[in-house]
Amino acid sequence: MQHFVLEQALNFLIQNGDINLKPLDQKIIRFSLKDLPLEVDFVCTNNRIFVVNDINNVSDVDIKLTANVFFALFKGEDLTDLLKQDKIIIHGDVKTAQLLVDMLQAVDIDAEEILSQYTGDIVAHEIGKITGKIKKITQESSNPLEALKDSVSNFLINPSVSKTYKNNKH
Amino acid sequence: MDNTTHFGFKDVATEDKQGMVRGVFDSVASKYDLMNDVLSFGAHRLWKRYTIASSNVKTGDKVLDIAGGTGDLAIEFRKKVGDSGQVILSDINAAMLGEGRKNLTNKGIFGVDFVQLNAQYLPFKDNTFDCISIAFGLRNVTDKDQALREMHRILKPGGCLLILEFSTTDSEFLKKFYDFYSFNIMPKLGEIIADDKDSYQYLAESIRKHPDQETLKDMVLEAGFGFCEYHNLSGGIVALHKGIKA
Repeated sequence: MQHFVLEQALNFLIQNGDINLKPLDQKIIRFSLKDLPLEVDFVCTNNRIFVVNDINNVSDVDIKLTANVFFALFKGEDLTDLLKQDKIIIHGDVKTAQLLVDMLQAVDIDAEEILSQYTGDIVAHEIGKITGKIKKITQESSNPLEALKDSVSNFLINPSVSKTYKNNKH
Repeated sequence: MDNTTHFGFKDVATEDKQGMVRGVFDSVASKYDLMNDVLSFGAHRLWKRYTIASSNVKTGDKVLDIAGGTGDLAIEFRKKVGDSGQVILSDINAAMLGEGRKNLTNKGIFGVDFVQLNAQYLPFKDNTFDCISIAFGLRNVTDKDQALREMHRILKPGGCLLILEFSTTDSEFLKKFYDFYSFNIMPKLGEIIADDKDSYQYLAESIRKHPDQETLKDMVLEAGFGFCEYHNLSGGIVALHKGIKA
């Protein structure tokens, strides 16, 4: 379910933030938060993002970082600085990673606020709660990583989902 | 070469299936929505909502709803694409398409195009649509592989195919309940409400003959899609397959 929520959130933000995804077209980005059970692949295509599970190591770039660093990127932290400090690990096409970071930083809006104003459906409400909660506990908790795990577990329920894989036949 | 296919549990000549399926839907068209509500306890509306939410359809998109019947999905897609987009509601069955047109008119939904078509021969140019949906329709298509190849052809690169269909549950308990319900209760309800036991017997049988989740995923990939994944709904009684054209 978290993939579904994430996909909804990203595409909502892209559409409402008027973000141009063209530079990332046809790119596959594997994104992992080291301190969370979150490893997803973003397939950027047709000016939208599909969040899928496992595509058999065919991503253009793998990005590994912690939740705190993720939010630092949102706040405009420089990717190069984070790379120098080993706070973010990138394998593959760094240019693609930079394009993704540029896009994230271009999303200069309060996700929770926007979502609650415009949609009001269950998904938007949950996204708002999740993002708010994550921000709050990473700031306040003495052990943010464990607290984050507990918190996200409470919010997200996993339905069964297939493995997704890249079709290499074509 | 074997020129037979299945129609429920019966083996029939391939060229006869389309007419037999048409007979089923001619018979149930006027009671289709009511029967869906009764038989699924209203769950079909939730499954369709999830399908719409998963589509990533946005303003200006072109969407084709195949086997769209009474237009549940087309109505929601129309709201999403806005006036700058396009939604085509299609069905092979004229009676179902007529019900769809009536339903949309009654709900004040305009700007949807209606096309009667066979999913195996889609009358559109290559790379036309951002999204194609087919809800509870694929199992009635005679040559599913051909239909999937056609859907792939007319989707734009990056376009999304959504297949909402009955599928296979892993839960033994659910399986037993579902079998009993499908073969004993559903045809009875069909007889009482729609005065048509046979069509609902066919419904139960056709669900059992439909490919399971993994098989359908392989078929989608084989048709040329770059990615495919599925999400089980209601314990796998229904599955949503999502294919992306690379």
